[in-house]
Amino acid sequence: MFKKSLGLFMFCFLLANILVAQTKTVTGNVTGKDDGIPVPGVNIMIKGTGTGTSTDFDGNFSIETAVGDVLVFSAMGLKTQEVTVAGENNLTIVMATDSEQLDEVVVTALGIKKETKALGYAVTEVGGEELSEIKQANAINSLQGKVAGVNVTGAATGPAGTSKVVIRGVSTLSGNNQPLYVVDGIPIDNSNLGSATRWGGSDYGDGISSINPDDIENISVLKGGAAAALYGSRASNGVILITTKSGKKGNGFGVDFSSSVQFETINTDIYEFQKEYGQGTDGNAPTTQEEALSAGMYSWGAKLDGSQVVQFDGVERAYSSTGDNISRFYHTGETYTNTIAISQAAENYHIRFSATDFTNHDITPNSGMNRKSFSLNAGMVNNEKLSVDLNTKYVLEDVQNRPRVSDSPGNIFFIVGLTPANISTETYKPGINEEGTEYRISSSSTYHQNPYWSAYYFSNQSVKNRFIGSSTIKYQFTDWLYMMGRAGIDQYLARITSVEPYGTAYKPLGGMSEQSYNVKTRDADIMLGFNKDLTEDFSLNALLGANNNAWSQEITSLTGTNFVLPGLEDISNVDTKNYDYANYKRERSSWYFSAEFAYKNYLFLNVTGRQDWFSTLSLAGKTSPNNYFYPSVNSSFVFTDAFDLPEWISFGKVRAGYSDIGGGVNDPYQLNLTYGITNTYAANGTSTPIGGITNSYLPNSELEPFSKKEYEIGTNLKFFNNRLGLDFTYYSNTTTNDIVAISTSTASGYSSGYMNLGELTNKGVEVLLSGSPIKNDKFGWDISYNLGYNKNLVVKTDDDGNPLFPGDAAYGVNSQSGAVEGLPYGAIYGTTFVRDDNGNIQYESNGTPTIGDYEVIGQGIAPWTMGISNNFRYKDFNLSFLIDAKFGADIFSGTSAFANYYGASKNTLVGRENGLDVSGVDSDGNVFSTTLAPSEVDTYYQQLYSIAEANIQSADFIKFREISLGYSVPSSILEKTFISSARVSLIGRNLFFLMRKTENIDPESAYNNTSANGIERFGRPTTRTYGVSLNFKF
Amino acid sequence: MKKTYILKFLAVLAISSFTLSCDKDYESMNVDPTSSDELDIIYEFPTAVLYTSGQRYETWRGNLIYSSTMVQHLSSLETYWSGDKYLWNSSYASAYWDAQYPQTIKTIEDMKYNIEANGDITNSNYAITRILRVLAYSRITDLYGDIPYSEAGKGYIDGNTRPAYDAQEDIYADMLNELSESAAMLTDGETADLGTADIIFSGDEGKWKRFANSLMLRLALRMVKVDESSAQQWAATAINGGVMESNDDIAYVQHEEGNGIVQNANGETFQADNTPRLSETFVNFMKDHNDPRLTIYGALPDGTDDYDVQQGLPNGYDTSTITNYDADFDLANYTAPSDLVNGRDVPMFFQTYAEVEFMLAESAYRWSLGTGTAESHYNAGVEAAMTYLSLYSSEATISSSEVSEYLEAYPYDASSALEMINTQYWAATFLNEYEAYANWRRTGYPELTPVNYSGNVTNGTIPRRLTYPTNEQTTNGTSYAAAVSSQGPDALTTRMWWDVE
Repeated sequence: MFKKSLGLFMFCFLLANILVAQTKTVTGNVTGKDDGIPVPGVNIMIKGTGTGTSTDFDGNFSIETAVGDVLVFSAMGLKTQEVTVAGENNLTIVMATDSEQLDEVVVTALGIKKETKALGYAVTEVGGEELSEIKQANAINSLQGKVAGVNVTGAATGPAGTSKVVIRGVSTLSGNNQPLYVVDGIPIDNSNLGSATRWGGSDYGDGISSINPDDIENISVLKGGAAAALYGSRASNGVILITTKSGKKGNGFGVDFSSSVQFETINTDIYEFQKEYGQGTDGNAPTTQEEALSAGMYSWGAKLDGSQVVQFDGVERAYSSTGDNISRFYHTGETYTNTIAISQAAENYHIRFSATDFTNHDITPNSGMNRKSFSLNAGMVNNEKLSVDLNTKYVLEDVQNRPRVSDSPGNIFFIVGLTPANISTETYKPGINEEGTEYRISSSSTYHQNPYWSAYYFSNQSVKNRFIGSSTIKYQFTDWLYMMGRAGIDQYLARITSVEPYGTAYKPLGGMSEQSYNVKTRDADIMLGFNKDLTEDFSLNALLGANNNAWSQEITSLTGTNFVLPGLEDISNVDTKNYDYANYKRERSSWYFSAEFAYKNYLFLNVTGRQDWFSTLSLAGKTSPNNYFYPSVNSSFVFTDAFDLPEWISFGKVRAGYSDIGGGVNDPYQLNLTYGITNTYAANGTSTPIGGITNSYLPNSELEPFSKKEYEIGTNLKFFNNRLGLDFTYYSNTTTNDIVAISTSTASGYSSGYMNLGELTNKGVEVLLSGSPIKNDKFGWDISYNLGYNKNLVVKTDDDGNPLFPGDAAYGVNSQSGAVEGLPYGAIYGTTFVRDDNGNIQYESNGTPTIGDYEVIGQGIAPWTMGISNNFRYKDFNLSFLIDAKFGADIFSGTSAFANYYGASKNTLVGRENGLDVSGVDSDGNVFSTTLAPSEVDTYYQQLYSIAEANIQSADFIKFREISLGYSVPSSILEKTFISSARVSLIGRNLFFLMRKTENIDPESAYNNTSANGIERFGRPTTRTYGVSLNFKF
Repeated sequence: MKKTYILKFLAVLAISSFTLSCDKDYESMNVDPTSSDELDIIYEFPTAVLYTSGQRYETWRGNLIYSSTMVQHLSSLETYWSGDKYLWNSSYASAYWDAQYPQTIKTIEDMKYNIEANGDITNSNYAITRILRVLAYSRITDLYGDIPYSEAGKGYIDGNTRPAYDAQEDIYADMLNELSESAAMLTDGETADLGTADIIFSGDEGKWKRFANSLMLRLALRMVKVDESSAQQWAATAINGGVMESNDDIAYVQHEEGNGIVQNANGETFQADNTPRLSETFVNFMKDHNDPRLTIYGALPDGTDDYDVQQGLPNGYDTSTITNYDADFDLANYTAPSDLVNGRDVPMFFQTYAEVEFMLAESAYRWSLGTGTAESHYNAGVEAAMTYLSLYSSEATISSSEVSEYLEAYPYDASSALEMINTQYWAATFLNEYEAYANWRRTGYPELTPVNYSGNVTNGTIPRRLTYPTNEQTTNGTSYAAAVSSQGPDALTTRMWWDVE
């Protein structure tokens, strides 16, 4: 230290003697004081100008400067240093750790940056580079396995599908349990514009998927109530704060170009349908074309023997396996992403503009998406008092032919997966007859579409134009008092056109729909902040604010059935038309405060409060409250700063927090009975409007906000010069008076309604262990392991303790997933085998197992989630990979149920040769055994279709989630070019499973993003992704 | 310094005044701008009638897949036509309940409640609403047995989300009472306030009164096996009160090719599913009697309506086993519902005059009730059953000479009166399969030969009821359990109260 001060002094001395400035190139190297290894990414700026550069991976830099200029070296966590340029052409800078900034600064609620050491709760930050290197169409999927306690699952509905994020377990029995997404200070809309149910359909994506991964600077996950309490009722499921990139002070003018290409192929390891028996029924191959058509998807034929057997098209082909239809039908998917960003920054302004084109050609033929994202972030500071920031994004999204999933109509994978082994999907081509109708491959069900018909003649197109913008104005009255206003808007217009073509088997005349959405979120905050050292030891950081949030959604939809002119797919070309208009509005107003007391900068206490008023809980004459006050308190104690501790403990803090957050009703208009005019009746000669009750839910005029109380304790410890770190949290929360969408007896006239009845708890731990076992100038190894365990318990569903189910959204076959008292949320409930007291299975007289009552047969949400990531650096190369795992969950496999029914799965081979022996008891409890003849084994397996218990699988898995191998071109090579940095990486995602227990399905394959997991039904098949990404900076 | 304190004070003031008024307008904001908080009965009544007629979902499953095949009016080779093969498909079996309670029952109970709340209980609209209510519940109870009745459809009205099941015996007693009270409120020659919003009778109180009594007669006869004296007593009340007198009195709703509920749901099904055929049993019955209805009800799929080429498809076969019946099987050679009756714009019949005449014939035969002999009522019934078909289409007209030829060739025979009457009742209720199925269970006529499809769940007997929705076990478990313990297992083979052996 002394040496360096002396050096600095010498520089200053020299400076005083040099009066004439001269331009020259100064090169140098920056190393860390503690470990002596090069520090990459240090900002170097010529003081008083906007010119600057940064160190490369090896800590080297080079800058055009002049004698007399002052170079400012700054980096997160290091003490900023100023060096005045003198005669030397080469500088060696050693930067010391900034104890004040030992903990990095993180973005907390309301966008307020705080030092993590002051936080009495857990916050996890994920850097943007982790999202942009291995890009996901839905950026939030990149959090998979990276954040302890955050359970991320992308739906099996293709790249444009939704992502489900559950933080610290399901906390409300209704609602979707999705976190609040705040982008640059503005809560954005995350509505799902339609998803599949048990009856089929497509996933129309969510709101967060609009955010371009290349624009994300970082993501801050506020997991618990204490962290998120300043967002009040909206924070009950946690908050994910996304900060987008802006021009960085000190970087001067820069151009950043990145390009990536990714390929997707079917993960063929998963799909292992039987290839020994062919199409047919009762053990016989079809003998006529009609029989073949009627046999359709039935693989109950004879053993494949290579003989010539007629198929659905009347052509005789070899009765032998045709190989893998899935790989045959699906293409290699391709995704191209190109981003260019231009930024400029100086002392008093910064600006960054970026444009990204994201193009995907899905594995499903004739399906894909394009997303163009534009982002402009700018800011200025006027004489250190007034600062203005503007963040805008404009996103154009166009998705073609989202896959139809779940039930069979138009569901490609249903057919491609179940197609009998002796049939090649090639023979399904072209999918259309000469007269323009579906080329049918099966007559057994009108709902079994030729997949080429589904791919090329069904269509759905969804277009979204979205603007997200926010502006912040801050005025610093004095150095301890400021006022800030922030207003933002998130608005999009979306249009969905969906066509079931003329000539479709189940809809001979076809039909279509046109839907437009206009969704608007407006959010405004005003706050007054106070930040002052009250005494030498004691400081106060406080704010008082108010917020208003308004949301509206207008939906106009036109639906028509029965095309008049075949082939003209226009909404006017239908013989029956229907239109619908919906207009939803809701608003929330709030005031809030926060006060943080710090004692000697090692003991912190933060108290917050927020009161929310809900429009959705307001109704004339209502007696229960429409508002709620949400308090929180948290404290942090940095004991390593308070006491003298051994050197090997570099940092230590303990923390504790308590909060009461909760929520109201999301959907407006739930409180009163409403009527509307719904149709026109003209059959009696005069046209008469007719109408009725329009509520789909049973209205409840006395709903009130629910409460979620949570406490958490935790510690952050760092050892051995920060080489080893531990972050541990224990939390426990209880939701009471939860608003539940209870299933009511349909005989009441309603199948569901909202009531303040529910109660559930979550208890869990989050552990993050990080270490740097090797760290020197050539080689580095960082490893981190995160673990989340959440024990959820549904304490109360309704007054009678009935199970609650989200209904059609979480339905398998004779099974559904939902809330059962005394069990974790996501219990899978379905039909069972009937067993006697000794566990013997009961059989019907024909040898098929008896279908038993609905019982709990599995648990759909994994209590254990974890991830381990490794990052190796050798000179200019780095290799990183992520393995993640979930344990403790089950999944109901609709694929298994249908594969049992149609004889497609390998388990159905048992008994086909010599008959199937079954033994158990009969309905009177007597010993029963019989042998089903080979021609009758189908009845046995078809009964398994109806017994959900037979189709439950363990969803435990360990996935090799991500890998990337990168090379950064050393600055010594780039020195003489205009390129300041260049990096190339090879990436892979979801390459293989290290462990998987499911058969024929991916253990993560929900067909929508409902909270109740654990139900699979023919989503889009699972893929592997690999590719290359390039990044250049100029 | 002073300035900042003032600013701070102002800010606090601004914030507190903001919060004081921050739920201003919220009460009006939370009212759906696209809907109303009340609805005149003239808009709600037609909806209730159309809901009662049924939508494709429950009509396909309840009326056609189950009821029509169990009574051997229709047949299909497809295995999802569970009723054809006595297979149990829980969601098909419960489809009628699943659709009717949240639609028909909710709407009717709402209308009834609103009339009561408005104090309009002397208005004839109230009587008409109650008659429609009985029609709706009678169909549900006749399919399922004990059902939620007194507490049903009142989720909003009184917050009852788990209605108890009433015993069918009590439901019948109340329905008969309701019909009797309602009929008494109506006056021949007057028009109810509903007017043309009454899409069944255009507000004609006389027709409603006769319909109420005809429905009463139907319910009365339904009880004949379990409580003959009550059956006779209520039949007498009905007949004395005045039942339908001609095809003009038929209770039906005209449909159209619009969207949603305005369409005939049988027609919607036939458009979507071309697998059903007329049952061999039904076709042979008509062919044996040279019945002119055959080529009105049916035609080959290509439209061929030559009498001689028509043939019925036997029940209980699937696409592979059918070759045992017909080695050169071709579905195109079997009679399907004809274009005259399979449209989306044809009427749906709730009760026809023909049915009433057959019931009068039976009442005369059993108890010598009413005027006229069993034979005269039988003949009038047959005539009405043939002539009313013109309501489907003017092309579906059967001449009176054809009727007389038929009656001459197959005259009423008192020695097999009940069989003849109820077989004709069966032939007359084609496509109103709920009624055909209920009357068949009551009378056992015509004598149908059950099928014995492999894997059937009834041991080769024709089902006696449909099963409750499986979700009743979870959403209304206590009531469900009570119903099952009182009525018997929730199975297709369990007999309901009026269906004693």
